[in-house]
Amino acid sequence: MHPNAASLIDRLSLHPRPGRAPARLPWGVEGIDARIGGGLVVPALHEFRAAQARDIGAATGVLIGLLTALMRTAGKRLLWVSDPAAVADAGLLYPDGLAQFGLDPAVITQVFPVDVKTALWAADEGARCPDLAAVVLQIKGNPARLDRLATRRLMLRSQASGVMVLILRQSGVEEAGAAQTRWRIAPRPARAEPGLTGCVGWPHVTLVLERCRSGQTGAWALQWDPKRKVFDHGQSLEEDAPVSVDRPAASVDRSDRAAALGQILDLRRAP
Amino acid sequence: MRVVALEPGTATLGLTPGQTLTDARALRPDLEAVARDAPADAALLTALAAWADRYTPLVGRCADDARFGAEGLMLDVSGVAHLFGGEAALMEEIAARLTAQGLHGALGLADTPGAAWALARFAPPGMRSAAPGEIRPALAPLPLTALRLDAALVTGLSRVGFKTVGCIADLPRAPLATRFGAGLIQRLDQALGREEEAISPLLPVPDLTAEKRFFDPITHADDIARTIVLLAEALVPMLEQRGRGARVLELRLFRVDGHVDRLDVAAAQPLRNAARIAALFRERIAGLACDIDAGFGFDLVKLGVLESEAFPGDQGDLVSGTCAVDSFEALVDRLGARLGPDRVCGFAGADTHIPERAFGTLPVTRLRAGLPAASPAAVTPVPPLTRPLWLLARPEPVDTLAEIPDGPPRRFRWRKVGYAVTGAEGPERIACEWWRDGRAAPTRDYYRVEAATGHRFWLFRHGLYGRERGGPRWYMHGVSA
Repeated sequence: MHPNAASLIDRLSLHPRPGRAPARLPWGVEGIDARIGGGLVVPALHEFRAAQARDIGAATGVLIGLLTALMRTAGKRLLWVSDPAAVADAGLLYPDGLAQFGLDPAVITQVFPVDVKTALWAADEGARCPDLAAVVLQIKGNPARLDRLATRRLMLRSQASGVMVLILRQSGVEEAGAAQTRWRIAPRPARAEPGLTGCVGWPHVTLVLERCRSGQTGAWALQWDPKRKVFDHGQSLEEDAPVSVDRPAASVDRSDRAAALGQILDLRRAP
Repeated sequence: MRVVALEPGTATLGLTPGQTLTDARALRPDLEAVARDAPADAALLTALAAWADRYTPLVGRCADDARFGAEGLMLDVSGVAHLFGGEAALMEEIAARLTAQGLHGALGLADTPGAAWALARFAPPGMRSAAPGEIRPALAPLPLTALRLDAALVTGLSRVGFKTVGCIADLPRAPLATRFGAGLIQRLDQALGREEEAISPLLPVPDLTAEKRFFDPITHADDIARTIVLLAEALVPMLEQRGRGARVLELRLFRVDGHVDRLDVAAAQPLRNAARIAALFRERIAGLACDIDAGFGFDLVKLGVLESEAFPGDQGDLVSGTCAVDSFEALVDRLGARLGPDRVCGFAGADTHIPERAFGTLPVTRLRAGLPAASPAAVTPVPPLTRPLWLLARPEPVDTLAEIPDGPPRRFRWRKVGYAVTGAEGPERIACEWWRDGRAAPTRDYYRVEAATGHRFWLFRHGLYGRERGGPRWYMHGVSA
């Protein structure tokens, strides 16, 4: 094979050659990592979705947990691009909170674009910059501009530069896109510590793998350990896992903030 | 109502500024009067100041102009006139361009701002330019008002027979100062050049400027882009010579009809590369809400360095193969150029305990080493999770059912959704800053609460029962994981 052709195939990752496996970011919880092949692929696009606006805290917690682990290994900077609609809803990232979670706020550069169009442009520019460890694109709802083409472009940029691109979608529905994995996150009541009832425990979430390139899905109860700065207790919740089916692609000429595209199919086996 | 200003040529009709409108109407029944629009006048002067930038970077306004009802611009043309073929030619050019724009202008030229001010307003046409060292004879026949004196002082001087500048220019200074105050002497000295008077510029004066004039005005975006590259290439050797790099650059496009477009870009690090400077302006122009209106074209383009810093002069890294275009600083510059530098931010801290005041987002281009750390928690080791991840821009009031006087909430309703509290930690009391908010400002008691659904919030009670005024209210301030 011509060397140029080989590198081109690598870049397009049509058929990744053995021995050139891309870097992975493990969750640190066996069950989850086994399901997705050892961790999240770093040079790729991943989506984290909070179904409701008030779940944004839980979704951000999971994202910050992953980024904390990523920064431990990559040790570079982060670009956080916020859709203006999302800022109005969720407010501002609080550096004290980030620091207590384990992420140094000084590595974050925030971008506040005027609209979704420029937000996508900024994320696109960030995904091309190898000086970054990751780009977070915070989006509210399902804007028409963030379609298959836009996500595909982000994915290709990420593969070319090695920058991890993460979409944090607030109060949006599931939507077909080029993201390698898509996760839904919802808060979960913390397990009562013995002898400490009535207190606030460690962050506890339900993590649902909605979509994965390999076709796997799953659901787990996940906890963040703020002392060791790792996730733990990945207890599997198989009954909550969605069934992987081909969902309809988003139509091209939909309105900007689309209504639900479809119901989550519930094909659980009858007991 | 009084007449403020008159069209040129109306002096022969017996009209003068300061007359009442009724008198003027009695003299000329067909008088056309327009109400004075001070803000519009000020806007026009500001636009003119931007336009006058084509002659000299130092354009100012006289501080006292408003008092004398004759506002104008002051241009420092030292070392500039020869570019336009001498002082007389410069004055002719300015007058011609003003007339072409439909404006009536009176120009005065002298060694001192005071004398130029007087000549422009009080000298007869044709005698408004004083050659170097010839200020005294030029000013001598002018009335005392030309010295920018108060009306009361002028009246006092005329009572003793002093009517013109020439009358008092050679009088002994001490008796004059004793009788009429030091202000008179100061004005006289300023006009005659015995005392320095500075012109404070209206617009920031660039450290370095490169400019290009066009005989045929340019209109195409491509031409503008090419001109920017040319000007940037002209700036680079000047920066190199001084060992500096540009941090803030400003592009000024002078349209034929007098309108001036100004665009500025900020760089995250000192810049000395023509291609990157041009790329920043390309992004800036692409990010404009509406296109630049070229009209009949631009006949002068100036590129100035408003802020510069010592250039570290690092060498590129050959081994890793990353070039400057890919670097984080280049990314920040590109984003800032298209979106505006204020929209690319990093965290900056402040020394206070009030959560929303304890941090801010500052443009990356303005972040410097030595600022307070973004978060005290980042410095001290492993505190518990007492702070939320998101802080609402404004605390939002919530309807709460809480224990009185200082218990945590039991149930609350936020954004139309009710929550039952299953776990709460607190209170964490944050007192008001009396030196900013006043002594009566309420104290905040913060609680971390967990709802039955698993959501975690950061709420506070604004005020203490019994001790501070009014019934305390509850607010939602943050959402945590």
